[in-house]
Amino acid sequence: MKKLSLVSIAATLMLSLSACGGSSGGTPSPPGPPPPPPPPPPVVTTSEAFQLLNQATFGATQAEAQQVIAMGIEGWIDDQMQQPASLQLPYLRSLPRPMNVAELHADRVDVWFRNVMNGEDQLRQRVAFALSEILVVSQIGGLTLAPYSVGDYYDQLSLHAFGNYRDLMEVVTLHPAMGVYLSMLGNQKPDPVLNIRPDENYARELMQLFTIGLVELNLDGSTKLNPQNQPIPTYDQAIIEGFAHVNTGWTYAGAPNFLQARRTDDNQTIPMELYPAYHDTGPKSILNGVTIPAGQTGEQDLQMALDNVFEHENVGPFLAYRLIQRLVTSNPSPGYIQRVATVFDDNGSGVRGDLGAVVKAILLDDEARPDMPMEIDGKIKEPLLRLTQLWRAYNASSQSGEFPLVGASVIFGQGPGQSPSVFNFFSPFFAPAGEIRNSGLVAPELEIATEYQNTFVTSYFFLTTFGWNSENPNLAPDNVAIDISEEIAIADDTDALIDMVAAKLLAGDISATLRTEIAGMVDLIGVADAANRTAEAIFLVVSSPEFAYQR
Amino acid sequence: MKKMNRREFITKSSAAAAATAAFAHYPGAAFSQVVGTGAPFPDYKALVCVFLFGGNDSYNMVVPRSTPEYTVYANSRQNMAIAQQELLPINPLSGAVAQYGLHPSMPGIQGLFETGAAALINNTGPLVQPTSKLEYQTGGVALPPQLFSHNDQQDQWHSLKGAGVSKTGWAGRIADLIRTNVVGQQLATNVSLFGSSLYQSADETVAYVMGNNGPIAFTGFPDPNNPNPDPNLEALLVAQRTAFEQIIGANYATVYERGFAQIQQRAVATADLVSVALANAQPLNTVFPATQLGNELNTVARLIAARNDLSMDRQIFFVAAGGFDTHDDQLVNHAGRLLEVSEAMTAFYDAMGELQLSDSVTAFTQSDFSRTLTSNGDGTDHGWGGIQLVVGDAVVGQRMYGTYPDLALNSPDDVGGGRLIPTISSDQYAATLAKWFGIPDVDLDVVAPNLANFQSRDLGFLA
Repeated sequence: MKKLSLVSIAATLMLSLSACGGSSGGTPSPPGPPPPPPPPPPVVTTSEAFQLLNQATFGATQAEAQQVIAMGIEGWIDDQMQQPASLQLPYLRSLPRPMNVAELHADRVDVWFRNVMNGEDQLRQRVAFALSEILVVSQIGGLTLAPYSVGDYYDQLSLHAFGNYRDLMEVVTLHPAMGVYLSMLGNQKPDPVLNIRPDENYARELMQLFTIGLVELNLDGSTKLNPQNQPIPTYDQAIIEGFAHVNTGWTYAGAPNFLQARRTDDNQTIPMELYPAYHDTGPKSILNGVTIPAGQTGEQDLQMALDNVFEHENVGPFLAYRLIQRLVTSNPSPGYIQRVATVFDDNGSGVRGDLGAVVKAILLDDEARPDMPMEIDGKIKEPLLRLTQLWRAYNASSQSGEFPLVGASVIFGQGPGQSPSVFNFFSPFFAPAGEIRNSGLVAPELEIATEYQNTFVTSYFFLTTFGWNSENPNLAPDNVAIDISEEIAIADDTDALIDMVAAKLLAGDISATLRTEIAGMVDLIGVADAANRTAEAIFLVVSSPEFAYQR
Repeated sequence: MKKMNRREFITKSSAAAAATAAFAHYPGAAFSQVVGTGAPFPDYKALVCVFLFGGNDSYNMVVPRSTPEYTVYANSRQNMAIAQQELLPINPLSGAVAQYGLHPSMPGIQGLFETGAAALINNTGPLVQPTSKLEYQTGGVALPPQLFSHNDQQDQWHSLKGAGVSKTGWAGRIADLIRTNVVGQQLATNVSLFGSSLYQSADETVAYVMGNNGPIAFTGFPDPNNPNPDPNLEALLVAQRTAFEQIIGANYATVYERGFAQIQQRAVATADLVSVALANAQPLNTVFPATQLGNELNTVARLIAARNDLSMDRQIFFVAAGGFDTHDDQLVNHAGRLLEVSEAMTAFYDAMGELQLSDSVTAFTQSDFSRTLTSNGDGTDHGWGGIQLVVGDAVVGQRMYGTYPDLALNSPDDVGGGRLIPTISSDQYAATLAKWFGIPDVDLDVVAPNLANFQSRDLGFLA
C-alpha cells in the first residue's frame, strides 16, 4: 500500500495540474475551428469540498480538498470511481502462518484501517463501509474462526461498490461468510421423519434487511397504505418458507460431501457450491405471487429467487434511504429518496441496480449540498469516522505501520466486521427521546452515542491527542500518532493555532464558543509547552458537538 | 419514514432550541426527572430485566420429565431434544400438568425454584388479544405485526405496542408515571448496562446508559475519588472540564448537535456522581461469574448497594445476554447460554440476600420469542410464545403460572413447525411486575396498553 503524506498528495496534485496544462499546450491544434470551450466547473469552496469529503471519504483533508476544488465535485467523484479497490484478503494471506484466528482478526481490523486511512479509493471504501452496515456479517458469532472469510467478504463489497446490486446480492448470498453468519451454509431440504425444515434465517434477513424491508414502499420511501389505512406487508411466513426452500443444498465448495463439509483456510473465501441431493426440488412461493416450479436445479431456483427480490419495487427506495443516511443525512426528504430511487430503477441507460449511478446521484443531489442548510440537514458522524477524520487530517501513523485497534467496538461502539448482530451497530430508524423523536425525525448514529460510549470516545480522543503525537519521544512502535509539527511552529500564537486546527478539522468553520473556550484553555498552558497547547486545541475540537456533526 | 414537513419543523423546533439553551448552562439539570410533586415511596424496590437476545429456546429450558409428556416432546424435537435422564427435576407446587425438569446447565435456578425464590411463567409472548389457532389462521383477531422477526418482536416485548405504534417502552412509561414520586433521586429511574433500548425509552424521562462494569470516568477531567496531587495539574483538569461543559452547553443550530450535546451533558453530570457512590457503597462478598451477564448483574448489585447515596427509591435496570439465536449447533451453544443465565441470576439473588433486599428486588427474563420445536438440522428457527423466569423473594415461587403448552406438532397451540401461540400476553406479565413495583391499577393500562383485552390483570406471581 502506498503511504500517503501531505507532501505526496501535494506532489500528486502538482503533477496532475501540470499534466492538465500540458495537454492544452503540448499537442498541435487540429485543423478547423476550435471546439467551444467546455463550461467551467462550478467553483467549489473549501467548505463545500470538506462537506463532500466528509460524506464521501474517511475524513476531509486540506490536500484532498484542493483536489476537489481543482477537479470539481463531479470530476472528483468520477476520478474516485476509477480507483481500484484496496483489498484486505491479499494482505491477510501474505501474513505468515500458522497464526491464530484472534490475531488474524486483529490484522483484518488493521488492514481495514490501512485501507481507509491511506487508500486512494476513498469513495469506494466509504461506500463499502456503508454497504457493510446494510449487508452485515460480523466476527462476533459464527465467524470468530473465519477471519479470511470476513476479510474477503468486505473485499467483495469494495469490488462491487459501484457495480450492480443484483450481482452483489448474488455474491453476498453465496459467500461463505454470509453462509455461516445467517446459516444458509449447510441448509438442507426437509426431512419429515426427523421434523427437519429448511433454515429460515437467510431467507428472512435477505428480504427484511438487505433488499425490501417489511412493508411496501412508495418510490419516495413513504409507506404504502391499503384502503383501511394500514401498511401492506411485503411477505408472509409462507414466502419466507419458500425462500428457505430455495436456499437449500449449499455449503463449502469442494467438500467430499454435503454433510461432512468443513471450513478450511481456502474454502472460506470461495463461493458456496450446490450439492443437488440436498436441494429441495418442490415448488416454492416467492414474492409478488410468483411460484418457482418444481423440478428446477438449485442454481435455477436461486437465480429466479434473486431476480424476484431484485425486481421488487421496494429495493430502490429501501436502499436509497439507507445509503443516503450513511453518506449524507439522517432525514432525507421524500424527494431526495425518490430522485435516488429513480436512478436505482434506471440509471438513464435502462439498467436497474447501478450502484455507481446511485452513489453519484446521492452525492450530486442539491440536498447533499444545500444552499440554505436547515437544522435537519446532515447527520452525526459515526464514531469510527470521527477518529479516521482526525487521523487523516493529521496524517497519523505508527512506527510499525500498524493501526492496532482490534478493540474498536469496545472503544467506539463499532468496529469493522464487529457488529453485535445482523441489525448493525444502530438502526436506520433510531430516534432519541426529545425533539428529534417528537418531530418524527431519526438520528441512527445516536443509538450508540450513549453516555457511556461517548465518555469512552472522548477519553480516547484525550489520550490520542495529548499522548500520541509527533512531539512524544517515547512512542511505542504501535502507537498511532498524529503529526502536529506544523502546529508546533506557531503554537505560541493562540489565534494562529486555533485557525490552523480549525482549518484542518472544520474547514475553518469554528463556532465562537468553541474558539473562546479553546483560547481560554490554551492560554492556561505556558507558551513553551507547544505540544500540550496544540493537543488541547485539537482535543477540544474533536470532542465537540460541531465536530461530531457532519454538515 | 414518516416525517414532518421541513418548513413546519423549523418553526416548531425553534421553541425546542430555546428550551435546550435555557437548561444548557446547568448540565446537572439535564437529568432532572421532575415536573411536579407526588408522595415519595416509603420503601425501595427494583426491577431487573434480563433480556435474552436472539430468542431463547425455552422449551429446552423447561422440559416435561414424566414419560408420556417427555415422549411427545422428544417426538417433536428429535435431535434437538435434551435427554430425559439429564433434566434437573423441579417440583412445582401448582400450575403443573406433568412433571418437569430444567435444562442440565441450570442447577442454580433449580435450587432457587425448589426453595421458592423463583417462578416460571408459561407460554408468554406478544399478543393483542387472546388468540386461538383458528383465529390466527383465519385472520379473526388482530396480531402483533411481523411475528417471528427479531427486532420487531424485541420491540413488542420492550414497548407492548401490539398492533399499534409506540416509541416508548414499558419501563420508560413506568418511569414517567412515577416521576413526581421520585423527585429526590439523583439518578434516572431507568439505567441500562446494555446500550440504548426501546424498553426504557420514555416521553418525559431519560434512561442513563453505563457499561457492563458501570460508568467510566472522563480521562482528562478531575477524578472525584482521587484528586491529582499536583494542585496546578488539578486546576488544569478542572479548567478543562469547565471548558468542555461550556462547549457542550452552547446553543447549536442543528437537531443532531443538540442531541449529541445533551448526551454529553448527562454523561458529564452523572459519571462522577455514580463513581463516588459506587466507591462509597458496601462491598459485596458474593462472587459473580466472570461472564458478560455476570459482570452486568454484579454492577447492578453494586449500584443497588449504593442506592442510599444516590437517594434512589425506585430503579429499573436493563441487562442482557446475547447468543440465543441458535440456528446452528444449538445443543452446544444453548447450554452455554443457559449456564450463563443460571449462574449470573443465582449470584445476583445471593447478593440481594447479602444486602437484605431479596424481597425488594425482582429479576425477570424477556426474550424475542421461543423457537420452533422442529429443527433445521442442527438448530432451530424463530417461534413465538416462551417461558419466562422470575427470581426474588417477592416471588410466589416454586410455581408455574399459566399452562405449559402441548408440545405435539400441529397441536392447538402450534401455528406451524412448532411455533406456539402464547396463552399469557407480555402485557399481563409486565402489568404484574409493574403493579408490584407500585403502579396503581388504574395506570397499568398505560404500562401495558393491551391489558384490557385479557381477563387477568395480575398473574399473581408477585406478592
